[in-house]
Amino acid sequence: MVRSTASVDAHVLIVGGGGTGGALAHDLTLRGLRVTLVERGEFTSGTTGRHHGLLHSGARYAVNDRDSAVECIEENRILRRIAPGSFEENDGLFVGVTDEDMDYLPAFLEGCEASGIPTQVLGPEQALRLEPLLNPDLKVAVRVPDATMDAMRMPLRFFATARANGAELLNHVAVTELGTSAGRVVDATVRDVVTGIETTVEADLVVNATGPWSGQVARMAGVDVPIRPSPGVMLAVRGRLCNMVINRLHGSGDGDIIVPQRALSVVGTSSWVVEDPDDLDVPPDHVARMIEEGSKLIPAVRDAPFRAAWSAARPLIGSRDADSGRELSRTFKTIDHASDDGVAGFVTITGGKATTLRGMAEVCADTVVRVLGLDAPCRTRETVLLPHTEFYAA
Amino acid sequence: MSRRDLDEIRRVRREPGPVTRKAPGPVAWFDVRRRRTGQLAFSMNRITALGLVFYLYLHLAVLSSLLRGADAWNSFLGLATTPLFLGLDVLLVLGLLVHGLNGLRVALVGSGFVPNRQKALFWSLGVFGTILLIYSAIHVFTSD
Amino acid sequence: MTAADPSAATDPRTLRLRVFRFRRDDQEPRTEEFEVPVGDHTTVLDALRWIQRHRDPTLAVRHSCLHASCGTCGMLVNGREALACVTPADPRSDGTISIQPIANLPVLTDLVVDMSTFVDRFPQPHPIVRDSEFLPQATHPDDHDRYLRFEDCIECGLCLSACPVAATDDTYRGPAALAYAQRVLEQAGTSVEQRDALLDWADGDDAAWRCHAAFECTEACPSDVRPAERIMALRKLLRRREGRTA
Repeated sequence: MVRSTASVDAHVLIVGGGGTGGALAHDLTLRGLRVTLVERGEFTSGTTGRHHGLLHSGARYAVNDRDSAVECIEENRILRRIAPGSFEENDGLFVGVTDEDMDYLPAFLEGCEASGIPTQVLGPEQALRLEPLLNPDLKVAVRVPDATMDAMRMPLRFFATARANGAELLNHVAVTELGTSAGRVVDATVRDVVTGIETTVEADLVVNATGPWSGQVARMAGVDVPIRPSPGVMLAVRGRLCNMVINRLHGSGDGDIIVPQRALSVVGTSSWVVEDPDDLDVPPDHVARMIEEGSKLIPAVRDAPFRAAWSAARPLIGSRDADSGRELSRTFKTIDHASDDGVAGFVTITGGKATTLRGMAEVCADTVVRVLGLDAPCRTRETVLLPHTEFYAA
Repeated sequence: MSRRDLDEIRRVRREPGPVTRKAPGPVAWFDVRRRRTGQLAFSMNRITALGLVFYLYLHLAVLSSLLRGADAWNSFLGLATTPLFLGLDVLLVLGLLVHGLNGLRVALVGSGFVPNRQKALFWSLGVFGTILLIYSAIHVFTSD
Repeated sequence: MTAADPSAATDPRTLRLRVFRFRRDDQEPRTEEFEVPVGDHTTVLDALRWIQRHRDPTLAVRHSCLHASCGTCGMLVNGREALACVTPADPRSDGTISIQPIANLPVLTDLVVDMSTFVDRFPQPHPIVRDSEFLPQATHPDDHDRYLRFEDCIECGLCLSACPVAATDDTYRGPAALAYAQRVLEQAGTSVEQRDALLDWADGDDAAWRCHAAFECTEACPSDVRPAERIMALRKLLRRREGRTA
C-alpha cells in the first residue's frame, strides 16, 4: 500500500450533487474526512431527481443481471433501515399478461431465489383484490419487496446528515476545469452561479460523481471513462392508479413499470443512447409507447389525464458499441485513475441506480480512504439519516 | 485569494437575501392582478372597511352639527337631498353590502360551516347583494 | 407530447422571455429578455433550460423531478404561481412571458429562493408518509396493515407566495404548514398528546387565526392540498376544543 502524504485532515472534493455524491459526502464525513461537494444546479437535478421513484427489489434484474439484482435487494433492506419514513412500503407486483410472460415466470422465480429476493406467486383473483385496477385478463402476479421513494427527498437525507456532520455542500457551483500537476489532480476551478465568483478549490482527492456526465468531467482530467448516457422517457398521468409498484413480468422492455407518486402514476420507461446528457428530447412515439404498454398493466392509464412527460439519462457503463442501452449493465464501478490511467488524486464512481446510492458510496469511499492511506471503516449501514427537512435547517 | 472567495461564497448562502414581494407592503392587499375571487373579496373588504370607517367619522361630524342648533342641521338636510348626495348614499349602501355580505361569507367559511363553497358564496351573495343594491338605489332616489 | 426539442415541433415559434435576474451584490434586480424557440409542448422550464444551455449558463434555476413531484421549480409565470416543469410556455397577449421567483421568500439568486424559512414554518416533527386513501376497495397483503402514500404537499411554496397575509407578515406560519397540521389531526392514529400539541401550535396568533380567507393558496397549489379549506377545518377543531374546555 502506498503511503499517502495526506494527513487525517485530508480534504476530498466531490464533483456532482446527485444521490451518489450525497451518499458519498455522508460516508466520507462519517469516516472523519473533510468533504466539499459542488453541484452545478440544484441537488438531485441531474438524473437522480427524475426517476420514477422505485426502490428496487432487484427482481427486474434477477434473470439477466444477477450482480445488479443482489446489490439491489441488499440496499433495499439497508435503506429501509437507515431512512425510515421515506418509502411507501407497499411492495410490488410482477404481472404476467401474455403467454410469453408466463414462459418467463420460471426463470424469474429461479433468478429471484438465487439473488435472495423473496417472492410470492398470486393468482389473478388475489392480485385483483390487492390492486383492483389491474388488467382483469392478467394471468399471474408475483409479489416482490419493491417500494416507492420520493426521488429527491430520500437522497436529500444523505445531504442533510452530511451537512450536519460538517460536510460543505455547495449547490449552484459549477466545475469548469480540473487542475493537474505532476500526474495528479490537485484542484478544481469552479464558478459560483450565485456570486459570479470564479475560484479554485484544492483537494487531496477529487471524486467524479456526475453520473451520465462522468465522461465529460473525466476528460477535464485527461482520462476516459466508458460511460454511455442512456436516456429513457417517463410519463406521469393524473390519478393514483395503484398503491403497489406494478411491473410487467418479462425481460426488460419499454413501458413495463408503473410507480405511484402521490396522486400521480408514473409510467416508464424507454431506452436509447446519446452523446450529451444535456441534450435530451422527449420523442412522442416513446410517450405513446408508455401509454400503450402501461395500459396493458393498468387499462386506466389510457384515459388518465396527462400531467408530464420527460427524459432522464441513466449513467450506463459499457462498451461504446451499445445501441439501445438495454445491453449495458446496471451495476456500478469505482475507477481509481491512478492505477487505471496514471492520473492520481482522481477517482470516478459511476453507473448504478437510485436504489444503490449508499452501496456505491461505500465502495467508492473504501477506495478513497485506501488511496489516501487511511484506515476508516464504513458506518453508513447502521447510521440512521436525519429527516430531509433538516437539510434546510437554518 | 481562493480562501477569501470561498468565504464569500459561503457567506452569501448563510445570509438571508432580499425577499421579492408582488407589491410593496400593504399595497399587496389591493393587488388583484392575476388573482381570483378570494383575493378580490379580500381586497374589497379592506377598501370598504377603510371607506366605512371614513364614513363613520363623517357621520359623527355631521351629527355634531346638531350641537350647533336647528339651522345648522336644516342646512345639512338641504344638502342631503341633492342628487349627488343621494348618489353617495347609494355608494354607502354598496360599501355596507360588500363588507357585510363578504363578512358573512368569511364567517360562514371561516367557522367551518361551509368549507368548500367559498366561490359559490361569493357569487350568490354577490347576486343577492346586487339585487338589494338596486332596490335600495331605487328607494333612495324615489322616496320623498 | 414532446417537450424539450422545439426544432421537432410542427409549429416552431419564438417567444420572448422576460426573466428576473439578480446577483446578491446587485443594487437592484433587473429583467433580462431572451428570444427562445418553442414548440407545441415546450414548458417554461424547458425554455429556461434552453437559455442556460444556449444563451447564458449563469442563469440559476431550481429543478429536479420534471414532473410536479419535487416542488423545486416553483416560479411566478406571468404573475401567477406555477411549477415551471408542467406549465406550458404560453405568452401573454403581447407575446412575452414574464418569469420571476416566487414571492415572500428570500432570493438566493435569479429564480432560486431559499426554502429554509419555508420549511421552518412547519410543526416538528414532520413525517411525510401516511395511510393511502386511494383505492379503498383494495385489500392489502396479510403482513401489511394498510397501504402507505406520501403527503400531497410537495413543499413547493406556491401557497406562501400567493398568500396576501404572508406578503406583509413574515411570521405567519402560512398555508402549507397549517394544512399539514390539519391533515395530521384529521387522521386516525394520532395520539392525544400529539393532537393537543398540534392544536396548541395552530392556536397561535401567527397560525390558524392569522388567515384572512383570501383562498389564493388553494388556487395556487399544484397538488390539490386545498390549504384554505384545511385552515377553515382547523379553526373548526380549535373552536370545538375551546367549547369543550370552556
